[in-house]
Amino acid sequence: MSDTHPVPNVPTPPGPAAPASAPGPVALPQQAPPFFSAAMRVFDLSLGQMLWSRRTIFLALIVGSPLALGILFRVLEVMGLGGGVRVGGGPVAGPTIFGGMIWLLYLRFIVPVLGVFYGTALIADEVDDKTITYLFVRPIPRGAILVGKYLAYLVTTVFVVLPSVAILYLLVVPLGHGSLAGAFPALLSDLALLGVGLAAYGALFAFIGATFKHPLVTGLVFAFGWEQLALVLPGYLRRLTVAYYLQALVPHSMPQDGLGGALQALFRDVPPVWVSLVWLAGYIVVFLALAARAVERREYVLEQ
Amino acid sequence: MTAKTRYFLLGSVLVLTVGLSIGLVAFYGGMPTGFFSAQQGPDELKYIPADATVVAYANVKDVMASDLRQRLRRFEGVTDEGRNEFKEQTGIDIESDLDHIVACGGPKGVGGEANGLILARGRFDSARIEALAVGHGGTVEQYKGKRLVLAPAGRDHEGATHGPGMAMAFLAPGLVALGGDKMVRLAVDSGDGAGSVLTNTQMMKLVADMDNPSMWAVGRFDAITAQASLPAEVTDRIPPITWFAASGRVNGGLQATVKAEAKDEQGANNLRDIIRGFAALAKMQAGTKPGMQAMMPDIQLAGEGKEVSISFAVTTDMLDAFAAASALSGKMKKNIEKNETK
Repeated sequence: MSDTHPVPNVPTPPGPAAPASAPGPVALPQQAPPFFSAAMRVFDLSLGQMLWSRRTIFLALIVGSPLALGILFRVLEVMGLGGGVRVGGGPVAGPTIFGGMIWLLYLRFIVPVLGVFYGTALIADEVDDKTITYLFVRPIPRGAILVGKYLAYLVTTVFVVLPSVAILYLLVVPLGHGSLAGAFPALLSDLALLGVGLAAYGALFAFIGATFKHPLVTGLVFAFGWEQLALVLPGYLRRLTVAYYLQALVPHSMPQDGLGGALQALFRDVPPVWVSLVWLAGYIVVFLALAARAVERREYVLEQ
Repeated sequence: MTAKTRYFLLGSVLVLTVGLSIGLVAFYGGMPTGFFSAQQGPDELKYIPADATVVAYANVKDVMASDLRQRLRRFEGVTDEGRNEFKEQTGIDIESDLDHIVACGGPKGVGGEANGLILARGRFDSARIEALAVGHGGTVEQYKGKRLVLAPAGRDHEGATHGPGMAMAFLAPGLVALGGDKMVRLAVDSGDGAGSVLTNTQMMKLVADMDNPSMWAVGRFDAITAQASLPAEVTDRIPPITWFAASGRVNGGLQATVKAEAKDEQGANNLRDIIRGFAALAKMQAGTKPGMQAMMPDIQLAGEGKEVSISFAVTTDMLDAFAAASALSGKMKKNIEKNETK
């Protein structure tokens, strides 16, 4: 891996609406790197761009909010204010709060939001910035560009989200005499679960980004419209969501009374863990393959 | 990859590693108490001696305010007479002045000396309580800066003193200790936490597992059965249990969990079989009487290896069904009595 990557000096094709490249097979030089190697080169290039973009501020804000909440809880406990966090009039221990935050904040909000904003932008940003031409003229398979960018997304989000969960664990679990030891197995499951969630949502929204004209809107409608609706509807529609399978992997139980209990009752119908893992792995592979195929075949028109 | 990106990734991995390492150390029991958190369990544990065989806690405020208690009071027809009498004498209203209590049982004392200790946290009029105790023949003495109120020793019919010497001490503002003389003195001794149950790793591991329930009890089952001086016929039939932990949450109904650790896997399997047998018997009994079915809690049996866990919930519906059945039984009794008098 090198520190600098020269961007090829390729002029943007002229005309009011010029195709980024001609459809059909592209003649590659004989020395073209293999798919994985090409994907890693794109990953190397994209990682820095993704990490130090303006979108990272949004990422920091969104991941920082649960930590701010955790710090607030700790401060309140240290100051002896409020008598701890209470649900339905009863005190709630740190591990339960931690489980609730993972479920409600991370799994139901942060992971889909990051998937939408980063996943849909993998190709769409290059199209909007009219820089996709520079990537497409490189002697590498187009699918490798998407896979490389997807890996960069995964590393960026995983390396921000997972440490924040580890900090949250140290902040929140000890609340109300909660046990770090008791919550440790749940932490491991949570970390794995969030990684799988980011990968699944990322693949799905990468496909949406590579296929649809308004990917961000489509992604938001899917994540916060369709998924929320399908999960509460009776029948089999919930099986056409990512959240349904992620829910089955959540190791925590919510408080039995009040809002927590009602929410848990709503999502009680969950498939076995192995079924969920198979479906999520399927989502990742299928949507990534479909996204790569879309990038290979689609003719991107750069508006002037 | 730029140096900036590389540093960021390294920092991220470092944070994650530190978090996981702390969790891992805690998981394997190496985390000192109070590290990253307040001490596990209530603060009063620092007054409990390290060799306590059982430790229990009850959040009196939560229990008193719970819907479960209100229903039970209606069901039992309890009046406030006793409570008011106690309040008049001591100035303590059990419903509002007591926050929580922590109790423990120590190893069996010499000559049947009382080995129990109750620590009550709340709002007390110490002068009034002390005056009441002295008025009933108690004596006051200073012990390591604390005022100990000692109850008069009991006398047998020959006039010889006997029995456990009971004592009471105000350990801190709003905290009173009641129990055997020796236990109260031990509580005063271990006020700084040194030599307290906080240093008992095994007991504290059980306490740490309590997810803030309304009440809990943990302890060494073998020590309790040994102290109970049970006949050999009974002890032979008790499965070899080493540790137990019971907890209950009152909110609406009662959610209770009882965990036990057997000496070996065979013992745990035997215990599971016994529980399954009792549950099946209860179900069979309830099956023949439809009215009883509504009163039967759903018992969940779990646990792997040496651990056995039973959890059940007593819902408000069950209590209502129980109250209805009781009322019906009362009515029937009255009718029978009426018919007999006729």
